[in-house]
Amino acid sequence: MNETTETQELPPEPEARRLVRVRDGRMVGGVCAGLGRYFNLDPIIFRIGAIVLVLVGGAGLLAYLAALLLIPSEDSEGEPAAGRNRWLVIAGVIVLLCISWPFLLGGGLLLAGLLIPFAFLVAAGVLVWWFVSGEGPAGDAGDIAKRAALGIGVLIVCGLIAIGGAWAAAAGGETVVAIAVIAAGVAILVGAFVKPVRWLVLPAVTLALSAGTVSAAGIDLDGGVGERDYRPTSVVDLRDTYQLGMGQLVVDLRQTDLPPGDVPMTVDLGVGDARVIVPDDVCVATDAHVRVGEVRTFGLGNEGVDVDLEDLPDAAPSVTRLLVKADIGVGSLKIGRSQFDVDFDRSHFDFGPVDTELGENTACET
Amino acid sequence: MRPRPDVASVVAGACVVALGVVLLLDAAGTLDLRFKVFGPAVLAAMGAILLASGLTRPR
Repeated sequence: MNETTETQELPPEPEARRLVRVRDGRMVGGVCAGLGRYFNLDPIIFRIGAIVLVLVGGAGLLAYLAALLLIPSEDSEGEPAAGRNRWLVIAGVIVLLCISWPFLLGGGLLLAGLLIPFAFLVAAGVLVWWFVSGEGPAGDAGDIAKRAALGIGVLIVCGLIAIGGAWAAAAGGETVVAIAVIAAGVAILVGAFVKPVRWLVLPAVTLALSAGTVSAAGIDLDGGVGERDYRPTSVVDLRDTYQLGMGQLVVDLRQTDLPPGDVPMTVDLGVGDARVIVPDDVCVATDAHVRVGEVRTFGLGNEGVDVDLEDLPDAAPSVTRLLVKADIGVGSLKIGRSQFDVDFDRSHFDFGPVDTELGENTACET
Repeated sequence: MRPRPDVASVVAGACVVALGVVLLLDAAGTLDLRFKVFGPAVLAAMGAILLASGLTRPR
Protein backbone atom coordinates (compact mmCIF):
# COMPACT_ATOMS: atom_id res chain seq x y z
CA MET A 1 0.00 0.00 0.00
CA ASN A 2 1.35 3.25 -0.99
CA GLU A 3 0.94 6.06 1.36
CA THR A 4 1.39 9.58 0.33
CA THR A 5 2.53 12.01 2.85
CA GLU A 6 1.41 15.51 2.43
CA THR A 7 3.58 18.13 3.90
CA GLN A 8 1.57 21.10 4.97
CA GLU A 9 3.46 24.31 5.27
CA LEU A 10 2.74 26.14 8.47
CA PRO A 11 2.33 29.88 8.27
CA PRO A 12 5.31 31.75 9.62
CA GLU A 13 5.03 32.79 13.25
CA PRO A 14 4.30 36.46 13.64
CA GLU A 15 7.16 38.45 15.00
CA ALA A 16 6.89 39.43 18.62
CA ARG A 17 5.91 43.05 18.83
CA ARG A 18 8.29 45.28 20.71
CA LEU A 19 7.72 48.83 21.79
CA VAL A 20 10.46 50.93 20.24
CA ARG A 21 10.83 54.51 19.10
CA VAL A 22 10.64 54.06 15.36
CA ARG A 23 12.98 55.76 12.91
CA ASP A 24 10.59 56.08 9.97
CA GLY A 25 7.74 58.51 10.38
CA ARG A 26 8.91 60.06 13.59
CA MET A 27 7.99 63.68 14.24
CA VAL A 28 10.12 64.31 17.31
CA GLY A 29 11.48 61.29 19.11
CA GLY A 30 9.44 58.54 17.52
CA VAL A 31 7.39 57.84 20.66
CA CYS A 32 3.94 58.38 19.19
CA ALA A 33 4.87 56.63 15.96
CA GLY A 34 6.21 53.71 17.98
CA LEU A 35 3.04 53.54 20.05
CA GLY A 36 0.96 53.61 16.90
CA ARG A 37 2.88 50.72 15.40
CA TYR A 38 2.80 48.75 18.65
CA PHE A 39 -0.96 49.10 19.11
CA ASN A 40 -1.64 49.05 15.35
CA LEU A 41 -3.31 52.45 15.49
CA ASP A 42 -2.80 55.70 13.68
CA PRO A 43 0.00 57.62 15.41
CA ILE A 44 -2.02 60.80 15.06
CA ILE A 45 -4.25 59.54 17.91
CA PHE A 46 -1.28 59.42 20.28
CA ARG A 47 0.03 62.77 19.01
CA ILE A 48 -3.29 64.47 19.71
CA GLY A 49 -3.42 62.82 23.15
CA ALA A 50 0.09 63.99 23.92
CA ILE A 51 -0.65 67.56 22.90
CA VAL A 52 -3.84 67.59 24.99
CA LEU A 53 -1.95 66.30 28.00
CA VAL A 54 0.76 68.92 27.50
CA LEU A 55 -1.86 71.65 27.51
CA VAL A 56 -3.79 70.18 30.46
CA GLY A 57 -1.32 70.53 33.29
CA GLY A 58 1.73 69.54 31.30
CA ALA A 59 1.53 65.85 32.13
CA GLY A 60 1.99 64.95 28.48
CA LEU A 61 5.41 66.57 28.42
CA LEU A 62 6.47 64.55 31.43
CA ALA A 63 5.11 61.35 29.90
CA TYR A 64 6.78 62.04 26.56
CA LEU A 65 10.16 62.78 28.08
CA ALA A 66 9.88 59.70 30.30
CA ALA A 67 9.08 57.62 27.22
CA LEU A 68 12.10 59.10 25.48
CA LEU A 69 14.25 57.88 28.35
CA LEU A 70 12.66 54.48 28.90
CA ILE A 71 11.65 53.27 25.42
CA PRO A 72 14.61 52.19 23.31
CA SER A 73 15.02 53.57 19.83
CA GLU A 74 15.22 51.10 16.94
CA ASP A 75 18.43 50.77 15.03
CA SER A 76 18.88 50.80 11.27
CA GLU A 77 17.76 47.15 11.07
CA GLY A 78 14.53 47.73 12.96
CA GLU A 79 15.76 46.11 16.17
CA PRO A 80 15.91 47.85 19.58
CA ALA A 81 19.21 49.63 19.94
CA ALA A 82 21.72 48.45 22.52
CA GLY A 83 20.87 49.28 26.13
CA ARG A 84 21.91 52.59 27.59
CA ASN A 85 23.82 53.22 30.73
CA ARG A 86 21.29 52.66 33.54
CA TRP A 87 22.82 55.36 35.72
CA LEU A 88 22.36 57.88 32.92
CA VAL A 89 18.72 56.81 32.65
CA ILE A 90 18.21 57.18 36.43
CA ALA A 91 19.90 60.58 36.42
CA GLY A 92 17.74 61.62 33.49
CA VAL A 93 14.54 60.55 35.24
CA ILE A 94 15.52 62.41 38.41
CA VAL A 95 16.40 65.57 36.50
CA LEU A 96 13.17 65.24 34.57
CA LEU A 97 11.11 64.98 37.75
CA CYS A 98 12.89 67.97 39.29
CA ILE A 99 12.32 70.10 36.22
CA SER A 100 8.74 69.07 35.65
CA TRP A 101 7.61 69.25 39.28
CA PRO A 102 6.93 73.01 39.47
CA PHE A 103 5.67 72.97 35.89
CA LEU A 104 3.12 70.31 36.72
CA LEU A 105 2.15 72.04 39.92
CA GLY A 106 1.58 75.20 37.89
CA GLY A 107 -1.05 73.39 35.90
CA GLY A 108 -2.97 72.76 39.07
CA LEU A 109 -5.43 70.42 37.45
CA LEU A 110 -6.75 67.15 38.71
CA LEU A 111 -5.17 65.14 35.94
CA ALA A 112 -1.67 66.26 36.84
CA GLY A 113 -2.45 65.79 40.51
CA LEU A 114 -3.35 62.18 39.83
CA LEU A 115 -0.50 61.44 37.47
CA ILE A 116 2.29 62.78 39.67
CA PRO A 117 1.69 60.40 42.58
CA PHE A 118 1.11 57.57 40.14
CA ALA A 119 4.36 58.33 38.32
CA PHE A 120 6.23 58.44 41.60
CA LEU A 121 4.62 55.16 42.68
CA VAL A 122 5.62 53.44 39.44
CA ALA A 123 9.14 54.87 39.65
CA ALA A 124 9.43 53.74 43.27
CA GLY A 125 8.20 50.27 42.30
CA VAL A 126 10.77 49.99 39.49
CA LEU A 127 13.59 51.17 41.75
CA VAL A 128 12.58 48.84 44.58
CA TRP A 129 12.41 45.86 42.26
CA TRP A 130 15.76 46.88 40.78
CA PHE A 131 17.27 46.86 44.27
CA VAL A 132 15.63 43.61 45.31
CA SER A 133 16.19 41.55 42.16
CA GLY A 134 18.86 43.39 40.21
CA GLU A 135 16.54 43.66 37.20
CA GLY A 136 16.78 47.22 35.99
CA PRO A 137 14.28 49.24 33.94
CA ALA A 138 15.26 47.66 30.65
CA GLY A 139 13.16 45.84 28.09
CA ASP A 140 9.80 46.73 26.69
CA ALA A 141 6.94 48.54 28.37
CA GLY A 142 5.37 45.27 29.50
CA ASP A 143 8.53 44.21 31.32
CA ILE A 144 8.81 47.58 33.02
CA ALA A 145 5.17 47.52 34.06
CA LYS A 146 5.60 44.02 35.45
CA ARG A 147 8.65 45.05 37.46
CA ALA A 148 6.90 48.18 38.70
CA ALA A 149 3.97 46.05 39.88
CA LEU A 150 6.31 43.62 41.63
CA GLY A 151 8.17 46.51 43.24
CA ILE A 152 4.92 48.07 44.44
CA GLY A 153 3.98 44.68 45.86
CA VAL A 154 7.27 44.60 47.76
CA LEU A 155 6.54 48.11 49.05
CA ILE A 156 3.10 47.02 50.27
CA VAL A 157 4.60 44.00 52.04
CA CYS A 158 7.23 46.24 53.64
CA GLY A 159 4.48 48.63 54.73
CA LEU A 160 2.63 45.79 56.43
CA ILE A 161 5.88 44.66 58.06
CA ALA A 162 6.50 48.22 59.28
CA ILE A 163 3.03 48.45 60.81
CA GLY A 164 3.34 45.04 62.42
CA GLY A 165 6.83 45.75 63.75
CA ALA A 166 5.82 49.12 65.14
CA TRP A 167 2.75 47.69 66.81
CA ALA A 168 4.70 44.76 68.27
CA ALA A 169 7.40 47.07 69.63
CA ALA A 170 4.82 49.45 71.10
CA ALA A 171 2.95 46.58 72.73
CA GLY A 172 6.05 45.40 74.57
CA GLY A 173 7.41 42.91 72.06
CA GLU A 174 10.58 44.78 71.20
CA THR A 175 12.74 41.84 72.28
CA VAL A 176 10.94 39.52 69.87
CA VAL A 177 11.29 42.03 67.04
CA ALA A 178 15.00 42.50 67.80
CA ILE A 179 15.58 38.74 67.72
CA ALA A 180 13.69 38.52 64.41
CA VAL A 181 15.89 41.26 62.94
CA ILE A 182 19.05 39.53 64.12
CA ALA A 183 17.82 36.21 62.69
CA ALA A 184 17.16 37.87 59.35
CA GLY A 185 20.62 39.42 59.40
CA VAL A 186 22.23 36.07 60.13
CA ALA A 187 20.23 34.49 57.29
CA ILE A 188 21.49 37.19 54.92
CA LEU A 189 25.06 36.63 56.11
CA VAL A 190 24.85 32.87 55.68
CA GLY A 191 23.18 33.35 52.32
CA ALA A 192 26.15 35.42 51.15
CA PHE A 193 28.27 32.26 51.28
CA VAL A 194 25.64 29.79 50.04
CA LYS A 195 22.94 31.48 48.02
CA PRO A 196 22.37 35.24 48.31
CA VAL A 197 18.98 36.29 49.66
CA ARG A 198 19.07 39.97 48.89
CA TRP A 199 15.29 40.12 48.83
CA LEU A 200 15.39 39.70 52.62
CA VAL A 201 17.38 42.91 53.16
CA LEU A 202 14.54 45.35 52.58
CA PRO A 203 11.98 43.64 54.88
CA ALA A 204 14.64 43.23 57.59
CA VAL A 205 15.70 46.89 57.44
CA THR A 206 12.04 47.95 57.38
CA LEU A 207 11.32 45.89 60.50
CA ALA A 208 14.36 47.31 62.30
CA LEU A 209 13.49 50.85 61.24
CA SER A 210 9.88 50.68 62.43
CA ALA A 211 10.70 49.04 65.75
CA GLY A 212 13.65 51.37 66.33
CA THR A 213 11.53 54.43 65.60
CA VAL A 214 8.91 53.30 68.09
CA SER A 215 11.59 52.64 70.70
CA ALA A 216 13.36 55.94 70.09
CA ALA A 217 10.00 57.71 70.35
CA GLY A 218 9.35 55.97 73.64
CA ILE A 219 5.94 54.77 72.50
CA ASP A 220 4.54 52.20 74.89
CA LEU A 221 0.91 51.16 74.73
CA ASP A 222 0.99 49.43 78.11
CA GLY A 223 -0.88 52.30 79.76
CA GLY A 224 -3.85 51.96 77.44
CA VAL A 225 -5.47 54.18 74.86
CA GLY A 226 -7.97 57.02 75.35
CA GLU A 227 -8.56 59.96 77.65
CA ARG A 228 -7.54 59.97 81.29
CA ASP A 229 -8.65 62.73 83.63
CA TYR A 230 -7.32 62.51 87.19
CA ARG A 231 -8.48 64.91 89.91
CA PRO A 232 -7.22 63.53 93.23
CA THR A 233 -8.64 65.22 96.33
CA SER A 234 -6.05 64.06 98.85
CA VAL A 235 -2.48 62.94 98.85
CA VAL A 236 -3.72 59.37 99.38
CA ASP A 237 -5.38 59.48 95.98
CA LEU A 238 -2.26 60.87 94.40
CA ARG A 239 -0.48 58.25 92.34
CA ASP A 240 3.27 57.89 92.00
CA THR A 241 2.94 57.38 88.24
CA TYR A 242 0.35 58.51 85.74
CA GLN A 243 0.73 56.41 82.63
CA LEU A 244 -1.04 56.38 79.29
CA GLY A 245 -0.09 54.68 76.03
CA MET A 246 -1.90 56.94 73.60
CA GLY A 247 -4.34 59.79 74.08
CA GLN A 248 -4.91 62.74 76.42
CA LEU A 249 -3.78 62.70 80.00
CA VAL A 250 -4.89 65.39 82.47
CA VAL A 251 -3.74 65.50 86.10
CA ASP A 252 -5.55 68.27 87.95
CA LEU A 253 -4.13 68.86 91.44
CA ARG A 254 -6.01 72.03 92.29
CA GLN A 255 -8.31 70.21 94.71
CA THR A 256 -5.55 68.04 96.14
CA ASP A 257 -4.50 68.64 99.72
CA LEU A 258 -0.75 68.40 99.20
CA PRO A 259 1.60 68.26 102.21
CA PRO A 260 4.61 70.55 102.62
CA GLY A 261 7.90 69.28 101.25
CA ASP A 262 8.76 67.30 98.15
CA VAL A 263 5.97 65.34 96.44
CA PRO A 264 7.25 63.19 93.56
CA MET A 265 5.09 62.41 90.57
CA THR A 266 5.87 60.65 87.29
CA VAL A 267 4.08 61.21 83.99
CA ASP A 268 4.63 58.54 81.34
CA LEU A 269 2.87 59.10 78.02
CA GLY A 270 3.50 57.29 74.73
CA VAL A 271 1.65 59.39 72.16
CA GLY A 272 -0.58 62.37 72.85
CA ASP A 273 -0.87 65.36 75.12
CA ALA A 274 -0.32 65.55 78.87
CA ARG A 275 -1.46 68.38 81.13
CA VAL A 276 -0.56 68.90 84.77
CA ILE A 277 -2.52 71.62 86.54
CA VAL A 278 -1.18 72.73 89.93
CA PRO A 279 -2.48 75.07 92.67
CA ASP A 280 -1.07 78.56 93.05
CA ASP A 281 0.81 77.77 96.29
CA VAL A 282 2.76 74.81 94.91
CA CYS A 283 6.31 75.05 93.58
CA VAL A 284 6.94 72.81 90.58
CA ALA A 285 10.28 71.22 89.74
CA THR A 286 10.32 69.62 86.30
CA ASP A 287 12.57 67.00 84.78
CA ALA A 288 11.01 66.17 81.43
CA HIS A 289 12.09 64.40 78.30
CA VAL A 290 10.02 64.55 75.13
CA ARG A 291 11.21 62.33 72.27
CA VAL A 292 9.30 64.23 69.58
CA GLY A 293 7.14 67.24 70.40
CA GLU A 294 7.15 70.03 72.94
CA VAL A 295 7.31 70.68 76.64
CA ARG A 296 6.07 73.89 78.25
CA THR A 297 6.10 74.75 81.89
CA PHE A 298 5.46 78.27 83.16
CA GLY A 299 8.04 80.56 81.56
CA LEU A 300 10.01 77.74 79.97
CA GLY A 301 9.42 75.84 76.77
CA ASN A 302 11.17 73.78 74.17
CA GLU A 303 10.21 71.71 71.18
CA GLY A 304 11.74 69.43 68.58
CA VAL A 305 13.35 65.98 68.67
CA ASP A 306 14.82 64.58 71.90
CA VAL A 307 13.77 67.60 73.92
CA ASP A 308 14.97 67.81 77.52
CA LEU A 309 13.75 70.33 80.04
CA GLU A 310 15.16 70.45 83.54
CA ASP A 311 13.92 73.14 85.90
CA LEU A 312 14.62 72.29 89.53
CA PRO A 313 14.02 75.35 91.71
CA ASP A 314 14.20 75.20 95.50
CA ALA A 315 11.28 75.85 97.82
CA ALA A 316 10.88 76.76 101.47
CA PRO A 317 10.27 73.79 103.84
CA SER A 318 6.73 74.98 104.48
CA VAL A 319 5.92 74.97 100.77
CA THR A 320 4.90 71.98 98.68
CA ARG A 321 7.38 71.23 95.92
CA LEU A 322 5.96 68.96 93.23
CA LEU A 323 8.72 66.97 91.57
CA VAL A 324 7.41 66.14 88.09
CA LYS A 325 9.42 63.58 86.18
CA ALA A 326 7.98 63.14 82.71
CA ASP A 327 8.74 60.92 79.75
CA ILE A 328 6.68 61.77 76.67
CA GLY A 329 7.08 59.82 73.44
CA VAL A 330 5.40 61.82 70.69
CA GLY A 331 3.30 64.77 71.77
CA SER A 332 3.38 67.52 74.35
CA LEU A 333 3.61 68.16 78.05
CA LYS A 334 2.22 71.33 79.59
CA ILE A 335 2.44 72.23 83.25
CA GLY A 336 0.63 75.31 84.50
CA ARG A 337 -1.74 76.87 86.99
CA SER A 338 -5.47 77.26 87.09
CA GLN A 339 -5.72 80.05 84.59
CA PHE A 340 -4.45 77.89 81.76
CA ASP A 341 -7.10 75.32 82.59
CA VAL A 342 -9.74 77.96 81.90
CA ASP A 343 -8.41 78.22 78.39
CA PHE A 344 -8.10 74.48 78.05
CA ASP A 345 -10.05 73.09 75.15
CA ARG A 346 -9.83 69.42 74.34
CA SER A 347 -10.14 70.08 70.63
CA HIS A 348 -7.57 72.88 70.49
CA PHE A 349 -4.16 72.74 72.02
CA ASP A 350 -2.97 76.23 71.15
CA PHE A 351 -2.14 77.84 74.44
CA GLY A 352 -0.56 80.98 73.06
CA PRO A 353 2.53 82.56 74.60
CA VAL A 354 4.09 80.50 77.38
CA ASP A 355 4.46 83.16 80.04
CA THR A 356 0.93 84.52 79.84
CA GLU A 357 -1.07 81.29 79.63
CA LEU A 358 0.66 78.87 81.96
CA GLY A 359 1.17 81.25 84.88
CA GLU A 360 4.34 81.66 86.89
CA ASN A 361 6.22 79.40 89.24
CA THR A 362 5.99 81.97 92.05
CA ALA A 363 5.81 79.59 95.00
CA CYS A 364 9.46 78.65 94.58
CA GLU A 365 12.34 80.47 96.23
CA THR A 366 14.05 82.91 93.97
CA MET B 1 37.34 26.25 44.23
CA ARG B 2 34.80 27.73 46.60
CA PRO B 3 32.72 30.53 45.14
CA ARG B 4 33.38 34.01 46.42
CA PRO B 5 30.82 35.32 48.90
CA ASP B 6 28.37 37.97 47.83
CA VAL B 7 29.94 41.10 49.29
CA ALA B 8 26.71 43.09 49.23
CA SER B 9 24.94 40.39 51.25
CA VAL B 10 27.82 40.28 53.74
CA VAL B 11 27.60 44.04 54.28
CA ALA B 12 23.80 44.02 54.42
CA GLY B 13 23.71 41.08 56.81
CA ALA B 14 26.25 42.70 59.13
CA CYS B 15 24.30 45.98 59.13
CA VAL B 16 20.99 44.22 59.84
CA VAL B 17 22.54 42.21 62.67
CA ALA B 18 24.01 45.42 64.12
CA LEU B 19 20.61 47.12 64.02
CA GLY B 20 19.04 44.09 65.68
CA VAL B 21 21.66 44.13 68.44
CA VAL B 22 20.96 47.83 69.08
CA LEU B 23 17.24 47.03 69.39
CA LEU B 24 17.98 44.13 71.72
CA LEU B 25 20.18 46.28 73.96
CA ASP B 26 17.44 48.89 74.09
CA ALA B 27 14.85 46.27 74.99
CA ALA B 28 17.13 44.95 77.72
CA GLY B 29 17.55 48.43 79.15
CA THR B 30 21.29 48.52 78.53
CA LEU B 31 20.91 51.25 75.93
CA ASP B 32 18.52 54.19 75.86
CA LEU B 33 17.75 54.48 72.18
CA ARG B 34 17.26 58.06 71.01
CA PHE B 35 16.69 59.62 67.63
CA LYS B 36 20.02 61.41 67.82
CA VAL B 37 21.73 58.01 67.75
CA PHE B 38 19.25 55.84 65.90
CA GLY B 39 18.74 58.22 62.96
CA PRO B 40 22.40 58.44 61.91
CA ALA B 41 22.87 54.72 62.61
CA VAL B 42 20.05 53.75 60.26
CA LEU B 43 21.24 56.16 57.58
CA ALA B 44 24.77 54.82 57.83
CA ALA B 45 23.53 51.23 57.58
CA MET B 46 21.33 51.98 54.57
CA GLY B 47 24.14 53.90 52.91
CA ALA B 48 26.55 51.01 53.38
CA ILE B 49 24.01 48.53 52.00
CA LEU B 50 23.25 50.69 48.97
CA LEU B 51 26.92 51.33 48.35
CA ALA B 52 27.78 47.65 48.54
CA SER B 53 24.82 46.73 46.32
CA GLY B 54 25.76 49.35 43.77
CA LEU B 55 29.35 48.24 43.59
CA THR B 56 28.59 44.56 43.18
CA ARG B 57 26.30 42.56 40.98
CA PRO B 58 24.17 39.69 42.30
CA ARG B 59 25.45 36.26 41.46
